Amino acid sequence: MCGEEASGEVTSERPRRGDRWRVVAASVPGTRHQKRQQPCQDAHYWATVQNDVLVAAVADGASSATLGKVGATLAVCAAATTVGVHHQRTVCPDNDEAWCQWLVDALHAAHATVVAEAQARQVPVRELATTLILVVAMPARVAVAQIGDGAVVVSDMAGNLLALTVPQNGAYPNETTFLISPNALTAAQVGVWRGSPKHVAAFSDGLQRLALQMPDGHPHAPFFFPFFQLVETVPAAREAQGQVEAFLGSQRVRDRTDDDVTLFIGSLIRSSGDAGPMSL
Amino acid sequence: MAVAPKLEETVEFAENPEPRCPCVLLLDTSSSMRGAPIEALNEGLRVFKTDLMHDVLAVKRVEVAVVTFDSEVKVIQDFVTVDHLETPTLTAQGYTHMGGAIHRALDMLQARKEQYRPHGIAYYRPWVFMITDGEPQDEPDDVVEHAAQRVKEEEAQKRVAFFAVGVENANMARLAQIVTRTPMKLQGLNFVHLFVWLSASMQAVAQSRPEEQLALPPPDWGTL
Repeated sequence: MCGEEASGEVTSERPRRGDRWRVVAASVPGTRHQKRQQPCQDAHYWATVQNDVLVAAVADGASSATLGKVGATLAVCAAATTVGVHHQRTVCPDNDEAWCQWLVDALHAAHATVVAEAQARQVPVRELATTLILVVAMPARVAVAQIGDGAVVVSDMAGNLLALTVPQNGAYPNETTFLISPNALTAAQVGVWRGSPKHVAAFSDGLQRLALQMPDGHPHAPFFFPFFQLVETVPAAREAQGQVEAFLGSQRVRDRTDDDVTLFIGSLIRSSGDAGPMSL
Repeated sequence: MAVAPKLEETVEFAENPEPRCPCVLLLDTSSSMRGAPIEALNEGLRVFKTDLMHDVLAVKRVEVAVVTFDSEVKVIQDFVTVDHLETPTLTAQGYTHMGGAIHRALDMLQARKEQYRPHGIAYYRPWVFMITDGEPQDEPDDVVEHAAQRVKEEEAQKRVAFFAVGVENANMARLAQIVTRTPMKLQGLNFVHLFVWLSASMQAVAQSRPEEQLALPPPDWGTL
């Protein structure tokens, strides 16, 4: 059973390398939803596979949907576990096309799970409308898939920061594509970035205007690097988690957005002797 | 070992212009509005501003323009954010040039969007909120018909959400021919409730992400 903030090891195999991911992730309800006594409609899920493969998902349930939270939670769990199961059953793909196919399979699995839940509850599937971001981060590659808004950014060993996806918005900023929207699966952003990630971040649309420079969607470095530094330097997961949650709920953030916010950060702690190609 | 940064002190936000939520208040100031109706409308406008000012995000995002129509169509207030809105004290006189007023409101929204675009400012679907106690008067029929056609087209293309509210003896059947959404009938002169609702709705729009449908609070000021 997976909850909104569930996380853990999918497998207990020993790592092939000494690299391992350190993760902090938090979903914090926005004041708008608190005022209306609605729950946080964001959800996230992550798991490490063999220590150096990190699978993470972030979803933002539509506030107009009565079961947006349910849709978001099911979507993140289904998408991430599909990749995890693939990984356990077969050899990890060594080409980008195969990775893209794994991610597309995961999106389809998430879609099927949400549709099945709507049928079981006998509600229209739009009541479980949610966005979905899926990230698989490895020492030499980051594969991403995204339906809707929010984005994924990565920072490499040289400190370059780049966006791997862009928010999918409609004509107006309050419209986006959902997992259950027509053509969502074919219109999904799916891709693989080859490089040496040092940090990877994914976030829901509540943070979009704080974390990206619009309208181009370039990641705003002074937003991300303090988080990266925190995850890198604070080994106690609980302490780092508490700091991120407190910050996301702070007045500074609330003055800029009253939506639910989710921030996921993974930092690759490379083993000594294998610190990455760009390090000195 | 490096010292962990304090997030509160170190995280900086991208400086993006706030997305805007433009709204034209299109107000009938013809002679039949004289007396209690226009006074109630003026009070409603003051409440509208006060209520919106309580929402930090709405203050930054909602842009209001005020246009009156009688024998003339007048832009009393071009688009401003709520904190810069100077609530007018309106007076009533003349006929009801509703068709011309609708054209003006739609033209203003078009021009405003063209100002947003080069500055990279995102915007929500604009609103026109028309309040009248009558029906089009003293205007060529084709002006009114063309206005109704424009409302229909722009609604269909989701370029505007056009609401009409009838007061007292408003010709509701005629209004229903002009606007696409079912016009609402205000109970008595309950403008205060109407504008509190409008404020709440604008606050909702300024943050909501409805799947095409606006999840508005139920109106407590009128009937269909």
